[in-house]
Amino acid sequence: MEYLIHIAIFICIYGILGLSLNLVIGETGLVSVAHAAFYGLGAYAAALLLTEAGFNFFAALPVAMVLAGLLALATGVVFSRFRGEFYMLGTVGFNIIIWSVFLNWQGLTHGPLGVPGIDRPELFGFRFSENITFLLLSLVLLAATYGVAQFITRSSFGRVLKAIREDEQAISIFGYATLHYKLLIFVISAMLAGLAGALFASYITFIDPSSFTLNESIFLLAIVILGGLGSHSGALLGALILVVMPEAFRFIGFPADVAAQLRLATYGVLLIGLMLYRPQGLLGTFRL
Amino acid sequence: MDIIVQIALNAVIAGATYSLVALGVNLLYSTGRFFDLGYGGLMTVGGYAAFFLYKESGFPLVAALVLAVIITGIIGFVIEKLIYRPLRQRKASNTVLLIASLGVITVIQAGLAMAFTSQFQTLSRNIAGQRTFEISGGIITETQVVILVAGLVVMALLGVVLKYTLWGKAVRAVADDEEVAQVVGINSERVIGIIFFIGACIGAMAGIAVGFDTGLQPTMGLPLLLKGIVAAIIGGIGNVWAGVIGAFALAIIENLGAWKFSGEWKDAISFAVLIFFLIFRPQGIWPK
Amino acid sequence: MSLLQTHNLLKKFGGVHAVDHVDVEFPAGKITALIGPNGSGKTTLINTVTGILPMDGGTVAVGDSVLKKIAPHIIATYGITRTFQNVRLIGQLSVLDNILLVLTERNVWGALFERHTKLHLSEAEEILKKVGLWEKRSAKAEELSYGQRKLLEIARALAMRARIYFFDEPYAGLFVEMRKIVSDILRELKAGGAAVVLVEHDMTLVRELADVCYVLDSGKVLAHGTPTETLERDAVVEAYLGK
Repeated sequence: MEYLIHIAIFICIYGILGLSLNLVIGETGLVSVAHAAFYGLGAYAAALLLTEAGFNFFAALPVAMVLAGLLALATGVVFSRFRGEFYMLGTVGFNIIIWSVFLNWQGLTHGPLGVPGIDRPELFGFRFSENITFLLLSLVLLAATYGVAQFITRSSFGRVLKAIREDEQAISIFGYATLHYKLLIFVISAMLAGLAGALFASYITFIDPSSFTLNESIFLLAIVILGGLGSHSGALLGALILVVMPEAFRFIGFPADVAAQLRLATYGVLLIGLMLYRPQGLLGTFRL
Repeated sequence: MDIIVQIALNAVIAGATYSLVALGVNLLYSTGRFFDLGYGGLMTVGGYAAFFLYKESGFPLVAALVLAVIITGIIGFVIEKLIYRPLRQRKASNTVLLIASLGVITVIQAGLAMAFTSQFQTLSRNIAGQRTFEISGGIITETQVVILVAGLVVMALLGVVLKYTLWGKAVRAVADDEEVAQVVGINSERVIGIIFFIGACIGAMAGIAVGFDTGLQPTMGLPLLLKGIVAAIIGGIGNVWAGVIGAFALAIIENLGAWKFSGEWKDAISFAVLIFFLIFRPQGIWPK
Repeated sequence: MSLLQTHNLLKKFGGVHAVDHVDVEFPAGKITALIGPNGSGKTTLINTVTGILPMDGGTVAVGDSVLKKIAPHIIATYGITRTFQNVRLIGQLSVLDNILLVLTERNVWGALFERHTKLHLSEAEEILKKVGLWEKRSAKAEELSYGQRKLLEIARALAMRARIYFFDEPYAGLFVEMRKIVSDILRELKAGGAAVVLVEHDMTLVRELADVCYVLDSGKVLAHGTPTETLERDAVVEAYLGK
């Protein structure tokens, strides 16, 4: 039972990551492979605020989100001018640079040693130390993220994003400063990734750079593409499938390291298969 | 003074390897018109094929290397035929091809890790006893000299073929404008297939070079490929020879940076350079 | 009174001057036709004035401003709008959404907190009914027939309530009934005091609708005057038919 709760918490965390990344890739058509950088920034910000500055989780959370948002603003300004594959390459480079910072700025992040001893959240004396309570917290945050995503896509802003996705120049003629739109959605998406990061840090109680590599961003990309671009429920479905799958492999009896490679091989095959046969993913409305 | 010479020598070796990679990247990009991340996987395959034949199956060195290169070439050809060609015929966007290629490298990496474990392997039979040469106070190993010479020979051969043979002209025609080339009667599909074969062969050589010089790991492909892409972009994407210069430039910047700041920041520096070029000079130093 | 003028407008591609130091002006309340053989620079001229392509020289005067650089998203503030020769709708959005896009809030924050209102819907209804597409409002734009897509683009331009309209070959591929709709719209816009600029190949339409003509050839203005005046000139006939 504990095991199932553990999996469920991860589904929530990756659900938040998938929903937020879908806003950028699925709704706006910007293929960003940098999401893990914002996820990591949120995690490290929360971790350090909790362990070294004595912050309460619920105070650290907005700070982590704002920091992720600021980083996204700075980089978004730079990247929003790049076209298609150059945008993707730029975000790959950005992910690697940020990961290098996590790994090498040892004075701040303790480098490869990571940040241990992160507390579970505490609210008015109540500690979320039981996994089941943490799951409830995660579900609440997931629902909030879903709500935000829906709010965005149902608004006039959401309609503009879809237009940018299809023909940015054509829509700009009609009075839209599309750069602002791309920037804002990138920032919002990054803030939500930061939220997931803080949640992750507080759950695992220890973080290190290995959780925020380029491979992680690729995993997030697989979630969004599998579930379906432009679909919120698709992002959730993708998260569900890709979190459960490696556990299923372990269950079948593969040793842990083979299971890890099998999981990687499966994402790879999935990505290829999806591009060949179903580029809009399982529930998606937008074909890349 | 010695240290400068050593940095220069290191840069020359790194530059030679990156040039091979950049060469392949440019060849593939000019004809296939997308950044094939699977190419990174192929480089790793080349290294491991050589490892399997030479160190695990006892083939004589030259035979092992030649076989490894050819096997990799065939695999590259097959991947193009099975995955990229159908996508290109459907007029898939560059992003779709890029994502499919991401799937390819992920599968290759995972497969190699399952077959050879994720442990570091080396191609040299006798690392400690290698001959070294001293040049103006810097040291260069025999392996490195061989890599350098082989690299230059390959590039020269390729240059001759591209410029003076009928087939080379066909390649340049397809690179220039595929539709027009088809109109003139060139079978562009066959040309592209052969280019992928040759590109994979060159990639295998780069993988083997790294295997001898530093060692093999299933995950070595993507970082190496990314360096090659950065080199190609610095030089001017699509301009096969400018990529070589870009490669040496990148190697010099990287090694200087590693000396000034510290080795761990090497990757971050390369990608900072990439982003710099994407912002200020996306067409590279020598645009096509 | 001219609502938009270009002065010495230059647009080049490599060595080719697609728009070669062109002076044109588009008067209010009149339909100005831009005609000329293929490649003469008509669409390039429009693309340059509407910010799709950057200007290489010269200026564009509109309202009180003289512009040397035109970014696509600012033309709307100067009352300029257009349709495209190769229809550029948002295919994956519905017919209604394509119109709502140009009716709703432009500001990033305003748009975020806005859901389209009844007012927007009734405006969209009025415009879509004018082109006969209200019944199809839920269909995706990419599902429409070619003629319907052209009408939708025109509707989109109408919804902008602009002062200067550029229509790039709006009649191409349209059936007779649809052509009548377009002509009625153009006349209505002209009556409302807008400057209507029309790129057309069909000379009958040009004679019928246009008040003024510019004939372009190889990026330069060959002739300027009423349709009768310009279309009769030898030089113009030669440009079309070759010597």
